[in-house]
Amino acid sequence: MKRLAGLTLAAVIASQSLLAQDYEQRRRRLIEKMARVEDGKLHYHSIAARLWLREGIPGAEKKLRELLQGDVSGDMFWMFPMTAIAYLDRGQLSDSARALMRRSWKTYYPFRGDTENHWLLYYTSMYLMAQMWPEMGGEGWFNGKSSKENLEEARRWIESWVKLTTTKGQGEYDCTHYIGVYLLPLSYLAAWAEDPRMKKQASMMIEWIAADFAVESLDGIYVGSHARTDDRQVVEKWRGVSADFAWLLFGQGKETPPFGGYSLYYALADGPEPPAIIRAIATDRSRPYTHLEKKRTRNRWRFNDELHGQVYKTTYMTKDYAVSSDQGGVLQPVQQHSWDVTWRVDDPEGVHNTLFSLHPYSGMVELEEYFTFSPDFGTEAVWRSKTTYDSPDKLLGGSPYEKIVQSEDAVIALYDIPPGTRFPHINGFFSKDLQEFVEDASGWIFCRGGRTWIAYRPLAPHVWKPIEGGGRRLFSPYLKNGTVVQAAGMDEFPNLDAFRKAVLALPLKFSLEPAPRVEFRTLRGRMIEFAYGQTPRIDGRPLDYAGWPAFGGPFLKGKAGEPRLVMTHGGVRRVLDFGTLTVSESRAARTK
Amino acid sequence: MWIAAAALCANGEHRLHALGVTTKGWVVGAALLPSGVFVKKSGGAWVNEGYRHPLLTAMAWLPGKPDTLFLAAGDGVIRIDAQGRWRVLTDETVTELQDISAGAGGLLAFGHTTGFQVSEDGGATWREISAGLPRRYGKAVRLDRLRKGRVVIGTENGFYVSDNLGGSWRLAGAAGFQAMRVEQSPHDASLWLAVTQRGGIFRSTDGGVTFEATARDPAAGRNLYDIAFDPTDARRIAVCGWGPGVLVSEDGGVTWEARNRGLPRPDVWSIAFDPDKPGRLYASVHEDALYVSEDAGRTWRADGLPGSIILKMAFVPAGGAK
Repeated sequence: MKRLAGLTLAAVIASQSLLAQDYEQRRRRLIEKMARVEDGKLHYHSIAARLWLREGIPGAEKKLRELLQGDVSGDMFWMFPMTAIAYLDRGQLSDSARALMRRSWKTYYPFRGDTENHWLLYYTSMYLMAQMWPEMGGEGWFNGKSSKENLEEARRWIESWVKLTTTKGQGEYDCTHYIGVYLLPLSYLAAWAEDPRMKKQASMMIEWIAADFAVESLDGIYVGSHARTDDRQVVEKWRGVSADFAWLLFGQGKETPPFGGYSLYYALADGPEPPAIIRAIATDRSRPYTHLEKKRTRNRWRFNDELHGQVYKTTYMTKDYAVSSDQGGVLQPVQQHSWDVTWRVDDPEGVHNTLFSLHPYSGMVELEEYFTFSPDFGTEAVWRSKTTYDSPDKLLGGSPYEKIVQSEDAVIALYDIPPGTRFPHINGFFSKDLQEFVEDASGWIFCRGGRTWIAYRPLAPHVWKPIEGGGRRLFSPYLKNGTVVQAAGMDEFPNLDAFRKAVLALPLKFSLEPAPRVEFRTLRGRMIEFAYGQTPRIDGRPLDYAGWPAFGGPFLKGKAGEPRLVMTHGGVRRVLDFGTLTVSESRAARTK
Repeated sequence: MWIAAAALCANGEHRLHALGVTTKGWVVGAALLPSGVFVKKSGGAWVNEGYRHPLLTAMAWLPGKPDTLFLAAGDGVIRIDAQGRWRVLTDETVTELQDISAGAGGLLAFGHTTGFQVSEDGGATWREISAGLPRRYGKAVRLDRLRKGRVVIGTENGFYVSDNLGGSWRLAGAAGFQAMRVEQSPHDASLWLAVTQRGGIFRSTDGGVTFEATARDPAAGRNLYDIAFDPTDARRIAVCGWGPGVLVSEDGGVTWEARNRGLPRPDVWSIAFDPDKPGRLYASVHEDALYVSEDAGRTWRADGLPGSIILKMAFVPAGGAK
């Protein structure tokens, strides 16, 4: 067994060295793809790519002039390409083009936004541009502040965000899209900040976020729960920015379009390849593991005594599938995804490789908690851009009436929806790509996704409704409701019937009145006792939310409240200490 | 708010300023159509002055100094000086301001997502005044125009009053309701009016110390957004909201009458009386236009800014900020 483990580790290390050779190739390939477009199709990102490559500059400058002399818009999404262009210029643009860029930071007023990803982009751009023009007074900036003031304000915000994130967890945690929005500015600061402290801090945060992603990456797919994802990626798990970064950073998955420009800008800023240990964590699925994380909610402006609520995540990872969850409730507005089973597929494009259920909650209380919307217009203001928010059919979003517990690859979600609640039903997502689907007389549903057996026990009657784009929606209009799910690998059971028999042999007791309650012994032998609204018990012990770690698993460890992340893999130990702003790495001595 | 108070001592000419957007469905990062500060020029045309800005919620100016405006904005307090120059006065610690007020002694105060702050030096420096509040969401704020140190604020749980500029707070009324706006009469410093989310209209006759729910409140259960005292008529007050549209009182806020004839929908964000034209009242109708009435709201006609969301209007004495 030890020999096998040694061989596996050797194989992982060997594959890592191959990946390491490929990173620069992938990076360059991405940049070249963006740069080598016709002049007429140039935009900010392709201008920046040409500057990096030092080719096609006359066309790039011409287009830059057109863009800046036109109707500028985009807020911080304009600021970050402009910052890249300014730093990649390196004497290639004319003085007049440079003057035009400089003037644009006076003539255009970018809005600062209303959430942390906006603010990190905004303040990173302000920091770097103020650094570039250190003597500029307030008359040179849209906000009337001098470069010195802007730089200092940006530094304060960035440092406060780092401290908050590394001690209390990320607010927009594990986002399939916004991971790019965080990695991009951090790569800028790591590359272009002159202050060694800011530079170091940013490079450490890149590792922190990359490790956070790596440990929940299933062959490049960011398994959830997620603070935010989107309507498409919640079912087609590959289709998003996280896949861009999995490919670029870890060489996982397949080359993407890319879905956002974030990975390009990361590449343009010479964003670093994660150290070998993080790449190994992303790719080593030789043994199943449970990984815990503690995060925080987005800022809650109203209805709470504390600005941030706690988020308790559990992820169980194997080589073939992952099960992941939070504790339920509204932890983020609008785009939360609370739990699912996700299975690996060789080519994820177009595949809906996931299964989950949710209560499709929509309410102004949620929106007013997290936003400053006016009550009469808030819901409409959201669905104008997040079009499914107020849809009864939606497959995205948290609910205050959903509570979740997970033990390894078993997850239980309970629902207790008050009468009169908008959309009083449960939606279960059953993919078009499920196979061997059986509705058993016992009440269990058995099926297979990729190389994963899945058992799903709805606790209340349901009907099936078609989903546009494929698959079926389990629709259950019962207010007291629930779902019990057990997953297993195909190498554990030779066929569906063997899996079925094993699951049917598991003790399951449940009741729905007065509130949903379940007792279930899992396939792994754990006894879960879970009553809606009460602390779940596993093997007789209540879950220790108070002692929940910031990171807890075989690869990542960190105590909540302490700005320290310890990574371990294959005898290597790497420590990010944000308290001392140091990185240390050691290798365990070999034992004979 | 100093709109009305300034009107009483001005030379009879004011310009209507409107804060809002004309982009429907705007989200952060999207292209922004004309937005921010709109000023109605003497010929009647609306001009979008200064930068385009997507989230301006209120404005104020120091007593006797209307040439400098202070805006409550999504990204801080913005000062616009007499030359039209913009300057953000606050830092990274405040966001999404909901209201701003100027008061006796040259004080400024604003409310934002996590509290209330005050400045005693024209906005150069700010200090927190939220200590002691059970919840800090800063929706509404008014500094007393005569009594320095008195401030009335609106929170997610009603209105609070302080006589020592936030040194200590006392619940003044509307407990359990999200506050939306509070205003002090320009005629009678003891008369204050406050409106709420679903709780209706509250009235104070003791200088903002206590607020009582209005009897026979026609807006109870609906959301009200703005209050306007008529500078030309001490007994006339208007409030507006979604559902009730425009409500006008001719008896100092004791009884109310809906006046929506001619409005396309009864969803109104802001209202303002013209201090130079008795009986003229403006109302901003959601994503429709600004409307004007020459008879204190009895009839209405459209008056520009089609498709807009105007969150706040104010009459600024002429010669004020560009």
